[in-house]
Amino acid sequence: MSAYKSRLKEFENLIIEDEIDIKKLRKFIHSGIPECAKYRALCWKLLFNYLDPKKKNWESHLERQRNNYNNLIKDLVIPPSCKNVDLSIDHPLSDNVDSTWSTYFRDNETFLLQIDRDVRRLLPDISFFQMPTAYPCKLVVDSETDIRLHRRVAPSVLSSANVERKGLGMKKINLIVKRAPENYEAMQKGQEANWEVVERMLFIYAKLNLGQGYVQGMNEIIGVIYYVFASNEDHAEFAEADCFWCFTNIMSEIRDFFIKTLDETDMGIRGMMNRLVRMLELKDVHVANRLKEQGILPQYYAFRWISLILSQEFDLPDVLRLWDSILADENRFDYLIYVCCAMIILIRDQILENDFEHNVKLLQNFPPMDINYVLNRADQLAESSST
Amino acid sequence: MDFSATYKVLVLGDSNVGKTCIVHRYCDERYYDTYISTIGIDFKQKLINLDGVPVKLQIWDTAGQERFRTLTTAYYRGAMGILLMYDVTSLDSFNNLSYWLRNIQENAAPDVVKVLAGNKCECTAAQRAVDKERGDKIAENFDMPFFEVSCKQNINIEECFLTLARKIREQREHRGENFDEEEQAKSGNMKRSTSNGLGPFTLGNSSSEGRCSC
Repeated sequence: MSAYKSRLKEFENLIIEDEIDIKKLRKFIHSGIPECAKYRALCWKLLFNYLDPKKKNWESHLERQRNNYNNLIKDLVIPPSCKNVDLSIDHPLSDNVDSTWSTYFRDNETFLLQIDRDVRRLLPDISFFQMPTAYPCKLVVDSETDIRLHRRVAPSVLSSANVERKGLGMKKINLIVKRAPENYEAMQKGQEANWEVVERMLFIYAKLNLGQGYVQGMNEIIGVIYYVFASNEDHAEFAEADCFWCFTNIMSEIRDFFIKTLDETDMGIRGMMNRLVRMLELKDVHVANRLKEQGILPQYYAFRWISLILSQEFDLPDVLRLWDSILADENRFDYLIYVCCAMIILIRDQILENDFEHNVKLLQNFPPMDINYVLNRADQLAESSST
Repeated sequence: MDFSATYKVLVLGDSNVGKTCIVHRYCDERYYDTYISTIGIDFKQKLINLDGVPVKLQIWDTAGQERFRTLTTAYYRGAMGILLMYDVTSLDSFNNLSYWLRNIQENAAPDVVKVLAGNKCECTAAQRAVDKERGDKIAENFDMPFFEVSCKQNINIEECFLTLARKIREQREHRGENFDEEEQAKSGNMKRSTSNGLGPFTLGNSSSEGRCSC
C-alpha cells in the first residue's frame, strides 16, 4: 500500500468511530487532510468545536443550530415592513429611537454599507462569490417585496424632491441613499449570489455583537470558511447556518484582534505582533536586527498576516492547507506566530540583502512558495522551542 | 541613477473612496474595478522625474475604516505629504474630510503638505453627490491644491501626485538652509532611529536619504 493510501486509511479509521478521538484527529490533521475536497468541511466543523466528537449528538445539534440561525434571519434580516408591527407607533417616520424603523435605518448607516462594499470585493481572483448558490435563503428570495440586504444600501438616484425634503429636517432619508456605482451581475428572481449569503451572515453577526460591529477583515475570514462548506456537495445545503456558527466560534477566539481598545493586550493585535518580534529575535537575530535597523515595523506586514490568519498572503488552496494546520493546533495562535516567523526566516537572505523599500514590498507581497515548506519550517521552530 | 531625495506620502480618506486604486493606477499604471479592502497599511514606490530632478516617492496606502485609524495615525508624523481623498459620489466621504483634517492637524508635522482629490469624477450627473465647487471651497479654506480625479479614466492622477511632490520640494526649500540643524536639534530630544520608515519616532529624514536638495 502506498504511503498516501495508508494515510488515508488511517484517517478514515479515525473518523468512522462513533466517538471521534479529537486529540488524535488534531494531530493527524496537523500534517494535512487527505482527500481534502471530501473531508475538509467535516474536519473543520470538528476543529471549530461546532460538532461534538460523539456522532450521536450531531443530528439534534445541527437541527437546533440551523433552526436558531433561521430564527435570526427572521428576527434580524426581515425588514419591519414585512412584519406585523403597530403602525401607530412604529412607522418609517417615527422619531422614537427604539422603533424598529429607526434601528433599520441606523444599521444601514453604521455597518451594512461597509459590509456591502467589502463582500462584493471578496476574493476577486475566483468567481465563486459572484456565482449563485444552489441553496438560496427562501425567506429572502421568495419574498413578495425585494428584501435583499444590499437593496437597503443600493445606489439610487436622489430626486430633487428628496433634496428639498432634506431642508425640512428629514436628513435620514438623504443619508441612507447611496450612489456608489454598482458593478455586479444582478441575480435572477429566486437566485442569490454567494456574496449575498456572506453579507447576510456578517450582518447578523454585527447585529448580535453591536459593541464590536463589523470590522474589515472579518469578511476574509468568514469567506474562507463559507467557501469550504459551500463548495462541498455534502455540506453545501446548510453551509450558511453552519458557517455562521463556526465563524462565531472562531471569532470568540480572535475577537481581540478586531477591537481597537484591546490592541495593547496579550491577545490584542499589538500584543501578537510583539510576540512575533520577540520570537524572531530568538530564532534569527540577524534578520530581526536588520528589520529593526531599517525601521520596518511589524505593523507594516504582520498586522494583516495575524489579523486575517494569513488569508491574504497565499492563494486560496494554500490558505486552506495552512488553516488545516493552524486550526488543528491545540494552541492555534501560538502556531500562527510560528508560521509568521517561519515566513520571515525563509526569505532571510533577501531581507539581509535588500534595502528598506524592497523589504517592505517583499513582506507585503510574500513570494509564492510551497506551503508545505513554510509549514515544515514552522514545525521546526515550534519543536526547537519546546525542547 | 542616484535618487537624492525621498518624499514620503500618506494617502488618507474614508474607506472605498479609491485610495488603493489611485496608488495602483499611479505606481503600476493599471486599473481594476475591484480591490480587496486594505487591512493595515500598504506600501508602494515610484521613481519620478520632478522637473529634471530624480525623486523617489514612497507612498503609504492606509486602511480607511475607523478601527485602523489608531494604527495609521502613528505614521502621520513621518509623512511629508498627504493625499487626502473623498469620493464625489459619496456625501459622507466628503463630510468626513473635516474629521481627516483635524486628525492631520493633531498628528502630522505642522507644515505637512496636503493635496485634496475627489475621485470617481467620471460618474454621471445623477450619481454625483458633491459638486466641484464644494471641493474647491474646502481646498481653498485649508490651502490645499484640489483635483477632481478619475482612476477609471485616468484623469488628473499624474497631476495630483506631481503637484504634491512639487509642494513638498517647495516646502523643503522654504525651510531654508538651517533645515538640517533644526532636524538635528529636534531629534536630539527624541529616540532617533536610522530607519527609513514612517514609524512614530522617525522624522521623515535620515542621514542616508531624503536630504533636502537645496
